[in-house]
Formats: sequence, C-alpha cells, structure tokens
Amino acid sequence: MISRRNLKFDRKEKLATAVLFALLLPGYLLSADSALQVALDASKATPRAVEPLTERSIFRDYKFAWTNVAQAMETNSTVPLNGLLAGTANSTFNGAIQSQQRSGLSSRYSNQNHKVEVVFYSPEGDVMELHDTAEYDLEIFDGSKSIHQEHVALHYVVLMSPGADRWVIRQLQAVPHF
Amino acid sequence: MRNRLLTGFVSAVCLAALAHAQTDEVRVPSDAVAGSAASIATTGSGSATLYLVGPADSSKRDVKLGEDIKLQPQELGTAGRYVAIVCAGSCQSAAFFVNPAKPVNLSFLVHPSRAPVGQSDIVSGVALPFDEFGNLVVAPVKLDFQLAEGGKTVMTHAASTENGAAWFRANSGKSAGPLQVQATMNDVTARRVVQQVASDPCSLHIKGQRSAKRIVVETEPVRDCAGNPVPDGTVVTFTGKDGKDTYTVDAPIKQGVARAQMIVAGPVVVSAASGVVMGNELRMGAQ
Repeated sequence: MISRRNLKFDRKEKLATAVLFALLLPGYLLSADSALQVALDASKATPRAVEPLTERSIFRDYKFAWTNVAQAMETNSTVPLNGLLAGTANSTFNGAIQSQQRSGLSSRYSNQNHKVEVVFYSPEGDVMELHDTAEYDLEIFDGSKSIHQEHVALHYVVLMSPGADRWVIRQLQAVPHF
Repeated sequence: MRNRLLTGFVSAVCLAALAHAQTDEVRVPSDAVAGSAASIATTGSGSATLYLVGPADSSKRDVKLGEDIKLQPQELGTAGRYVAIVCAGSCQSAAFFVNPAKPVNLSFLVHPSRAPVGQSDIVSGVALPFDEFGNLVVAPVKLDFQLAEGGKTVMTHAASTENGAAWFRANSGKSAGPLQVQATMNDVTARRVVQQVASDPCSLHIKGQRSAKRIVVETEPVRDCAGNPVPDGTVVTFTGKDGKDTYTVDAPIKQGVARAQMIVAGPVVVSAASGVVMGNELRMGAQ
C-alpha cells in the first residue's frame, strides 16, 4: 500500500515536474521543429582541425539557430533570433521577417534535415565555413492562405564565428551548388 | 426560367474570366546578379498577384499576366534563392538564384596583434571577399598577401579563394617593430599591422653591489637572441642563497634592466632567471 502511494506520488511528481519544466522553457523550444535533424562532419576541416568541444558547440548552436530561424519566420518575430545571428545573417533574417510583416506573409520550414560539413577553419579559430546540404518542406502563407508548398533541397554556405558563449552565424547564403 | 438562364450565363462568364486570368508558366531569370535588375515572364492574360520571396525581402504586388514583370535592383540585393509565386485563381511558382556581384570588399582577419620575433608560422591571415551588398563571393578570386617591415617586403604570397576564403601563415621577422600585412584583390587593399616584439631573453648577466645590510643586484640590458630589447614588464627572478636561507625576488624589467634588493648580511650567491634562461652566479662576500 505504501509502495503504491509512493508510486502514485512519483508519477504525479514527475508529471508536475514535466509540466513545470515545459512552462519554464522559452517559447522557441516549445514550438521547435522536433523533426529537425543535423549531421555534422568536421573531419575535412582545413587548415585547422576542429577540436571535439568546438565540434559539439557548432552542432548545438547551428541546430539551435535553424530551430529558431524556422520559428521566427513562421511567427514573424525577430525575438527568437536574438544572439544567434550576427552581421549579414542578422540583417538578412531581420529584413526577411520585417518584410513578411509588411506584406502579410509567413513561411513555415518543417521536416528539416541538414547535412553539414566543415570545409574551412581558420588557423586562429576565429572563423569557420560550413557547407550545409539542407532539405525541408517550405510552405508560404498569405495571411492564413497557403500559396506555395514545396520540398526544397538547397546548398547553404555558412560562416560562423565564436561569440561570448556560443558560435554565431555571420553568413547564411544559399547557392546553386558547392 | 429567365432568372436561371441569367444566373447560368453570369456563372459561365465568371468561370471564363477566371480561366482566362491564369498563368501556366512563370519564367524566372537564369543568371541574376545581386543588385542588377531582372525580369519575370508569365503567360496568360488578366491580372494576378506576384509574391517574391527572397532571403532578405518578401513582397506582394498586382501584375498583368503576359507582360514582363520588372524586378528592381534593390529587390535583388541579397544573394540566394528567390521564389516567385504568381496567383490568379490558382498559384504557379518558380525559384531562381541570385549570385553575388563582383567583389569590392575584403574581410581580412590577421592574428596575432603582437608577435615575438623569430617565431615560425606565428602570423596568419584569412581574407574573405564580399560584394557591395555583403554577399560572400564564393567563386574563386585571386588575391595577393604581402608582409613588409620597415618599408621592405619580406613575403609575398599569391592565393586564390577556395569556397570564398584564402589564407596564409608566415614567420615573424627578426626585428621588433610594426609588420605591415596587406591583402590585395584587384584594386581593393586591406591593411593590418602586427606589432613584432622581442622574443624571450637570450641570456642574463647580473652584477651587484653590497651596502651595510643589503645587496643590490641588477641585470645588464636584457635582449632576445636577435638583439631586441626585451619588453618592460618581463619578470626576472633573482635568487640569493647564504647557506642557511634562500631569498627570492621577482623584479620586472624597466627600461631594459631588472633590479632587486636583498637584505643579507653574510656571504651570498645570487643567480637570476627569466623564462627558461638562467643568468650567471654572482658571489658576494660578507660586509
């Protein structure tokens, strides 16, 4: 009997903890695209080899950035982008969101799959270039009306640099091919 | 009956108009360049809505089908993938890429800002070419790296960007002073300066004087192996041993010389060290 009570209590406690945890999480994590996949290969980086810790940071920050870019483009809010982008990438996505707001559009990026390769890592470790072969479903809305749907396979050239506590994307540029 | 016929006629006209204002094809530019005008061609006739969704800008406007739709240079400033969607009843779309314009800016990162002289591969630089709109030019670009000290070129290196980046490594020179580092791409030049400073001390020579209760020891001017004065602030450790006790004093170099005092009455042997360099031993007798 005691053990059953404990079991019940444990379940309630776990449920309450999960609910509390979910409530405390920032909005961008709650609505993140759970299907977002990133595979990172840093073995061909030159002229400097990518340290294992750096590789983990790049993986974490790049995935997090795309999760938040998707959320920002869908909700037309620049808030999720704070601190993840810098320089041209920052102005590009902020411009995209502001123009979507002006024209009443929004974009949904779903089922994202990114195969990322580090192709350049500077001798002093202050800039890294990635090649991302990305696939996702893109849906564009005018208000609530869907005007465009497609499965996109794209190549992105990405420049990242270390920030205070994370790697930030400085350039995210789609190209026809690598 | 009459009303039904009228309703049927109106419906038919509407359907015909709807079918008329449809486009079967959206033709997009195949070689668009950032900051240059381009046009989109459509088939059909009637009015429609064009949505242009690019990397940094989205727009919506009314267009006439069958006429070329002009895209202004400022609409295509950002390189990347654009989607043109034409809606008239149903929507047709086509995607196209805008390529970067010609490179006019160099992002040039050089490290370190201060480098000891005589070190191998200690200076490095990375150059990334950008067009006037901040797009990374990923097509190969030829550029030259040049290092000069005292107005004399000490290294040149011709390189071509690969995936939008070119880099070099170089040794530092033999003399302390500014090392001018520049990257040149066509008529665009980016300049940086690396301050070359003396390396570690090459040797230490000390001398001393005794007064009633203390000794004063000092180094001769401390230089690196290339003869450059070691920077002020470099620490020299003086150690005195009098048989019973050991006295240690850390003294920074000031104007090329490190100086320390030790309160020792008896005979003492004093030595000095800085980094991995040991100086001579100085034996000083009792007062």
